[in-house]
Amino acid sequence: MPATLTSQRFKVADASAALDLCFSRGWTDGLPVVPPTEAAVRAMLDAAKLAPDAKIAYIRDRFVTITAEKVAINAVMAGCKPEYMPVVVAAVEGIGDERWGYHGPGTSTGGAAVLMIVNGPIARELDINAGDNLFGPGWRANLTIGRALRLVMRNVCGSMPGLLDRGTVGHPGKLSYVIAENEAQSPWTPLHVERGFRPEQSTVTVMAAEGPHQFYNQLSPTAEGILTTLADNMRISGNVMGQPHYCLVLAGEHMTTIAADGWDKKRIRQFVWEKTQNSHAHLKRTHRMSGALEPGDESKMRPLVATPDDILVVTAGGRAGAFSCFVPGWSSAKSSAALTKEIKR
Amino acid sequence: MTIEILDPTTPASPRPIEYAPRPGALAGKRVALIENTKFNSDKLLQRIGDILKAEHGVAEWTMYRKHNASVPAHDEIITAIKTSADVVVAGIGD
Repeated sequence: MPATLTSQRFKVADASAALDLCFSRGWTDGLPVVPPTEAAVRAMLDAAKLAPDAKIAYIRDRFVTITAEKVAINAVMAGCKPEYMPVVVAAVEGIGDERWGYHGPGTSTGGAAVLMIVNGPIARELDINAGDNLFGPGWRANLTIGRALRLVMRNVCGSMPGLLDRGTVGHPGKLSYVIAENEAQSPWTPLHVERGFRPEQSTVTVMAAEGPHQFYNQLSPTAEGILTTLADNMRISGNVMGQPHYCLVLAGEHMTTIAADGWDKKRIRQFVWEKTQNSHAHLKRTHRMSGALEPGDESKMRPLVATPDDILVVTAGGRAGAFSCFVPGWSSAKSSAALTKEIKR
Repeated sequence: MTIEILDPTTPASPRPIEYAPRPGALAGKRVALIENTKFNSDKLLQRIGDILKAEHGVAEWTMYRKHNASVPAHDEIITAIKTSADVVVAGIGD
């Protein structure tokens, strides 16, 4: 006899009425949802080998425990296939980790979304897009896994837009913000291996993040040229006084050019960290740093992030086109650390 | 055919909050100001502290700084305030 599902049940006439109920109760993100029936929820739990009452995370600031049953219900509503459930569960573990600091990115006027980067074999098995139209529409896994996480934040953690979630402008990534690293074609060490996992492990990295900023360089045939353009775009972006994380997403043509010069991720991080520093004078003149200009401010530099390791480097995006992007983190790395969690199957 | 769906929400669990007794007057009291690190929050609180001294006769004020705006005041601050202050001014905002 399988363990009982304890969530309150609602009987409705048909699927249309179920949808109306979800909207009227405030359970959706503004888009239609899949009705969370017991059979669908059980399939989700079975795929992750989880009992309904298994505790996935505890959000201290909300005094709320996130159970597997609630994750499964929200994953069904988001449109996930059952086999996506382990990814959603790992992401919930990530945002429930105290180092991620739910209270900030779950509520802030700064409007953070949860950027999820999937690594390891599961990314290919689930067809999580790592290529063309990386942040756009077209892939069920990308759009529903992130949506499931956001529905958990809304329905379980209370991050209701306009109430507890007070993002001033927010961004579309708050609907879903999932990518995979293109490990098959990357010349570099995958993100999860850099962060201590084995290549055959599957992981998801969660980072509180602003929207992606695209930049282009169709001119330079060198690593230094492309990354100089990137750094110039990055230097004033996001919370330049907050020292958050950044994620660099390097796509096909740029990746090939940079790798051909023999640069690895460590060298990319170091170069970008050095080239994105701002003078105190500039920050004061542009009203980002308080205080009057003082002697020496022109040469006194403030790095965009505290250390090169606060910059995550990921290979993803289409093969054609001299475009890549960077994603500024929310607030500061001290307020919300990007974390990588193993996807357990 | 009717269908049955499951509630995706978890209601926030209610918590009893016990307020410290309020002083009848501020005269002679020691005030702690908790600064959340946002720009100008220290200036705003300093002004509040000065007004409390000038207009309400508080004995002194001391400012404490949180680690960052997104976290509760840390234990060291709470411990210090328990022994060194009678009244606390704390706020959050941008």
